[in-house]
Amino acid sequence: MTTTPLIISLLAGAILSGTSLLYATLGETLVQRSGIVNLGLEGVLLVGASVGFALAAASGNAWLGLGAAALAGAATNLLFGWLVVTRKANQLASGLVMMFFGFGVSALVGAPYIGAVIAGLPKWRPSWLADLDWVKATTLFNYDILTWLAVPVALAVWWALFRTRWGLGVRAVGENPAVAYASGRDPARFQYVVLLLGGLLGGLAGAQLSLSLTLTWAEYMTAGRGFIAIALVIFSKWHPLRAIAGALLFGGAEALELQLEARGSLISPFVLQMSPYLFTIAVLLAWGGARRLAAPASLGRTFYGST
Amino acid sequence: MKHLLRAIVLILAAACAAAFAADGLVIGAVYVGSVNDYGYNRSFHDALTQIEKQLPGVKLLEAENVPESGEVESVMEGLVRQGAKLVIPTSFGYYDAARKVAARHRDVAFEFAGDGDTTGNFGVFFGQTQRAMYAMGVAAGRMTRTNKLGFVIGVPIGYSLGNVNGFQMGAHSINPKAQTIVVVTGGWSDKAKEAAAANALLDQGCDVVSMHVDSPATIIRAVEARGGMSIGFQSIEARALAPKGWITGLGFDWKPFLTETAKRVMAGRFHGEAVYQGLGQMVVVAPFGAAVPAEVQAAVNKAAAAVAEGFNPFSGPLKDNRGNLALPPNATVGADQMGRLNWYVEGVIGKVH
Repeated sequence: MTTTPLIISLLAGAILSGTSLLYATLGETLVQRSGIVNLGLEGVLLVGASVGFALAAASGNAWLGLGAAALAGAATNLLFGWLVVTRKANQLASGLVMMFFGFGVSALVGAPYIGAVIAGLPKWRPSWLADLDWVKATTLFNYDILTWLAVPVALAVWWALFRTRWGLGVRAVGENPAVAYASGRDPARFQYVVLLLGGLLGGLAGAQLSLSLTLTWAEYMTAGRGFIAIALVIFSKWHPLRAIAGALLFGGAEALELQLEARGSLISPFVLQMSPYLFTIAVLLAWGGARRLAAPASLGRTFYGST
Repeated sequence: MKHLLRAIVLILAAACAAAFAADGLVIGAVYVGSVNDYGYNRSFHDALTQIEKQLPGVKLLEAENVPESGEVESVMEGLVRQGAKLVIPTSFGYYDAARKVAARHRDVAFEFAGDGDTTGNFGVFFGQTQRAMYAMGVAAGRMTRTNKLGFVIGVPIGYSLGNVNGFQMGAHSINPKAQTIVVVTGGWSDKAKEAAAANALLDQGCDVVSMHVDSPATIIRAVEARGGMSIGFQSIEARALAPKGWITGLGFDWKPFLTETAKRVMAGRFHGEAVYQGLGQMVVVAPFGAAVPAEVQAAVNKAAAAVAEGFNPFSGPLKDNRGNLALPPNATVGADQMGRLNWYVEGVIGKVH
């Protein structure tokens, strides 16, 4: 067996680690475009990962798990929506509360299934690619539906946000809900819909972790990926297509760390472990100045006008 | 006369039973994770539930998923309040809290899994896996086709480095071309990263992967999914996770030691000691997978027997993987020095600092 070129294994690793980040980032992008910051994303991921795994283990069918994960993520976000849209609670505080809620719910749901063995989602690799040596040696192109559909979903989110009247409404609500309201759009309705969609995507992000990557459930297995996704929303300037690059770059930073170690790099493992986060800090610094231009103008503000 | 005898025997038996019930023992165990993790926590759960079944009068109380924070102190207090006379805190980070609770309850025996100082009612114990890993290396060295072995470790502490070194020395003893590639995830339980680490090793052509993390489940499943082979760690039950690729593994067997401890507590003879045991006592070799040929099994069993009889692979002269003399001739790394080990042996691809 020959050693795979670094660039190939990096790409394979970036996709492996970046897919769930992309789904989570897309969901949060949608939500933030409507003016809502959901700091509870980590909890949504955990609920998706645990419910998906539990159902897949109990039924023996990973597809059931996948569907349940998406619905559970959506339900979690709708609860958050009830807090911040209907009850007009503070978004940051409610988000953190929802995060801890997600910790608790996922631990409860997942507990009976720790150690359960599941088959995971079926993987499919086109036969004409399977014959290439450097493809065979890695996970490249041997993907399940979540990985194959990640980029198309990003395109769909972009299209919905920037090429439809509905998307215009969402962005209008995020920029200035009062004006959107005056022009006959109900901000609360838009926000509930994007929270529902964002929750579906967050649930899928969690399911990608437990049903595709780890094939095991462990408490708090997201290990901060929900927060990384929130940083990636800022990195990608609230744009679904730039989110693809962000997720790949962050996934690539984690892949670089592990692949360099696996190649016997002379860099300290401690420095390598920091690299994904150093990368995030660098990106936030570089983009920091331009943030005001890109962020939805009413992000994080509660709209009282429609009551 | 016959009736009288039978009556006396019955009365004696009843008295004995009553005395036993009075002498019964409540054992309280505290785990940092779930008992179903196919790993470290399960190894304790398996031992203690068997003791509960086999030792008359023993009742087991278990607290799972207890973080290494202030919370563990109140959990242990709770176990004592429920009548526990033997408390077993199983995670390294419980040490300070366990010492405090033990100081408040001199009548309760504490048996702590890890390093530390002992007192009259506070004993410490642990299984030494580093020498036993030599036998695992023999298994890996014989089974590999690429001569590249992978090893995922959570945090590069001396005990993890020792496991890697024992593994590589065993592999090298039987296959001079074998190399062990180490990847560090940075935590004992970051599942997604463990999966990514296992995949990174497989990308590099490793065909056998072992690990030192809390639960081997994720790595074994990731390796199995790509047709690789694995050598387990912590619980021998992990073989259920890899029907095809399982070679063998090391597991902890706490049952004999904890049975003895429980008996001592019941007899009022407990005294805190430091007990460290290796292969054949607290550490056992897991059953072999179906794909392992008989001659490989024999080679592994031979190496394991040598270690159990006192062979120490950590004997000088040993070179580290930068070519320096790490251990001079005639020097050895003893069990008490393993926690301070800070080098990789020749043939390991990895960096400590």
